[in-house]
Amino acid sequence: MTCDEFQRVLPYIMEGGGSDAEQTHVQSCPHCSALVEDLNSIAAQARLMLPLRDPSPAVWSGIRDSLEREGLVRPAGNVVRLRPDGLRPRSWSWAAMSAVAALVLLSFALVRYRNLLGTPPAAVPVTQAQVAPAAPLPADQEVVLAVAERNPDLRATYEAGLRDVNDYINSAQQTVDQNPDDPDAHEQLMQAYQQKAMLYDMALTRATQ
Amino acid sequence: MPSKMHVTVVLLLAVAAAVPAAAQVKREFRYTVAPGASVAVYNEYGPVSVRAIAGRQVVVVATLASGKVEIDPLQAGNRLEFRTHALERISGSDGSVHYDVSVPPDANVNVRVVNGPITVENILGDLTLLDDAGTVDLRNCSGGHVRVQTISGPVTLSESSNGYIDITSVSGNVALKNVTGRKVTVNTNRGAIRYDGDVGQNAAYSLINNTGNIDFIAPASASMDVTARSVSGTVENDFPLQPKRRTGFAPQPGRAFTGTSNAGSSTVELRSFSGTIRVKKR
Repeated sequence: MTCDEFQRVLPYIMEGGGSDAEQTHVQSCPHCSALVEDLNSIAAQARLMLPLRDPSPAVWSGIRDSLEREGLVRPAGNVVRLRPDGLRPRSWSWAAMSAVAALVLLSFALVRYRNLLGTPPAAVPVTQAQVAPAAPLPADQEVVLAVAERNPDLRATYEAGLRDVNDYINSAQQTVDQNPDDPDAHEQLMQAYQQKAMLYDMALTRATQ
Repeated sequence: MPSKMHVTVVLLLAVAAAVPAAAQVKREFRYTVAPGASVAVYNEYGPVSVRAIAGRQVVVVATLASGKVEIDPLQAGNRLEFRTHALERISGSDGSVHYDVSVPPDANVNVRVVNGPITVENILGDLTLLDDAGTVDLRNCSGGHVRVQTISGPVTLSESSNGYIDITSVSGNVALKNVTGRKVTVNTNRGAIRYDGDVGQNAAYSLINNTGNIDFIAPASASMDVTARSVSGTVENDFPLQPKRRTGFAPQPGRAFTGTSNAGSSTVELRSFSGTIRVKKR
């Protein structure tokens, strides 16, 4: 089994443990074994970020929205949305934030391990001017509202910070799309996501401090 | 003879000056701790200053701007915690608390502030400093793990050696002066990064940002292996670098370079998305 084949079935392995061949591969390949170890560690961290009680169905709806917006899953189509519009309990904000923070961390890990092999060609750069400013994501707005509720003075700081980070992610993502084999571009995208994770983490800290 | 109006204005000014002074409350806490104590301060508004003192005492002097806030101290074994507690809705003016914290040099310190400067001097333990909108200034903090996170506040770190440094700021500038760590990582978005000093031995520097500039200034004797790349900005170098053999890095004139100065005992990685990177001799 090759690393490529292994990584293609990695999500199933994370859930179910994997077949004998997959287990043999992960035991013999330091790269894939490090990847599994890191993802396990991130998943453990993500679990800690989630509330201790069971989240409401609205949370899963919020996560689905986030996944769709990030392009990680296809739109639900005719699936009935569970969250009634305009009805968002306060705890939802933090659950969604935790989920998005977890997503950010997972994206960060996946980006890190994508295309690590091969010599990088010179990248085709995407300049900031070419990238449209990122529209605020609903999850970001939740973060800003939650922070501002407790510390109104911080609203502008978080708004500007999230805008900057989203622009960073957009421009880095476009460069990665144009230069998928450039590890530096991936690293830059990883740094951008890391900053977003930091912002969410700080916001979470503010809410619980 | 002064007019009635003059006297009234003087009296009003005197009262106005006296009111904030009267509203201020000063509280002092003293504890004796064992080596490696952990001291945490959580503040909403106002400065937090931390410095080392000889002996095993932790002394915290908190000056509260008003009666709308109080301090919740906690001691659990060798761990101390001081938390600003708002009794009602507060703002930056009436909710401000100024913490003056003195700890043994080996203490591990954790400070979180919403908006106010953090200053730390002469601490050898681990430091975790989180500040949403304020500045962070560290001096003579060596040997420990230093983690700093800000959103908009600038960060300065000077005269530190042999530590693990990890600084992240979204839009604050980061300035390092004479910082030789085993691992020095700076990650900003719009903030500029400036390093000025020698690089020591066996250290690893990684300075990365998005749109800000990166200036790396070192003496001609610096022993370093440098890699610099700006994806859509420019790079400049005035060190006579020796080319490296067998590297996967693709140099691009004006955009990316790599090479070794002297023995190359430390690694320096500089990367920006669209900023200018300058490697300069001191």
